[in-house]
Amino acid sequence: MSDARIDGYARAMYEIAQAEGVVNEVEKELYTLARAIESNEQLRNALTDESLPVERRQTVVEQLLGGKASTVTTQLVSFIVGSGRGRELPAIADKLSKRASSESHREVAEVRSSVALTPEQQQRLSDALTKATGKQVNLKIIIDPLVLGGLVATVGDTVIDGTVRTRLDQLKSRL
Amino acid sequence: MNIFTSIFIASEAAGPPETHSWIWPERAEIVYGCTASILIFVALIKFGGPVIKKGLSARTEKIQKDLDSGKNDKASAQAEATSIRAALGDIAAERTRILAEADAQATALLTEGRARITAEMAGLEQKAEADIAAAAARSGDELRAEIAQLAGVATERVVSSSLDASTQQALIENFISNVGAAR
Repeated sequence: MSDARIDGYARAMYEIAQAEGVVNEVEKELYTLARAIESNEQLRNALTDESLPVERRQTVVEQLLGGKASTVTTQLVSFIVGSGRGRELPAIADKLSKRASSESHREVAEVRSSVALTPEQQQRLSDALTKATGKQVNLKIIIDPLVLGGLVATVGDTVIDGTVRTRLDQLKSRL
Repeated sequence: MNIFTSIFIASEAAGPPETHSWIWPERAEIVYGCTASILIFVALIKFGGPVIKKGLSARTEKIQKDLDSGKNDKASAQAEATSIRAALGDIAAERTRILAEADAQATALLTEGRARITAEMAGLEQKAEADIAAAAARSGDELRAEIAQLAGVATERVVSSSLDASTQQALIENFISNVGAAR
């Protein structure tokens, strides 16, 4: 799908969430779902397999998000999957997240960690990233076991990498 | 009886003639005999002498010619012998020269062959050493890569097993502290 179309979907979803007054919640849930789709091939296939009936794919979405995400988020995702755009859902979620951050004069800070961060750690990390980049950040925590340990933060074009995975890769390169 | 028998019988009947000396003939016989002898000698000297002289001269000339011819033949034979000896000498010299030339060519070929074989062997040795060095380097590189890979895998496993909850929290706290202190 073209960037304009992805941008169009993201803008429409943002405006719906804004109209419903749940922008932050929708943005956060969509972002989390997008990362889950990226990392889970089975889920990605279930949502993007066009050989499956639309109703079947939408049922998967409702079973997946029902009770775990807001109604608006579930309906928006169901709409995207029903439109046959499930493959572009991560890109749409990213656009929506950037748009929401931009509207609140913040920058998306994607942080990958192998373990969950406490709210207090998230706050301190957000403050530290704001201090380091000079920008207000919209923190997005992604649990990624591949990093092994530590954190890697991506704010715009800036990447701050403190993961064990990267250290191991550097060690392997030196070896 | 024929006439001859009759004459013989008549003569025998007359008896042998008798001379005045039993050694010397009759004077007339001496005169006639000497005169006839002189005449014969003169005739011989006058008519036979030149012929004999001429024959002797021809014979002498022929003998001289034969001697000269023999001399010439001898000289020719000697020249021929000298030529043959010289030719023999030339043949020996040519044989020696050919043998020396063959020896020189053989020596040159041997030297050239040795030099070529030595150069080829040196080239082969150099190539073999280069191949061995390349193989050793390649093996070394492969071994190093294998060791590095195994070391990487082992390190990752050791590190992963040592990353307990407290270590994870320490890493997170360390990251937050470092990022916060970065500016």
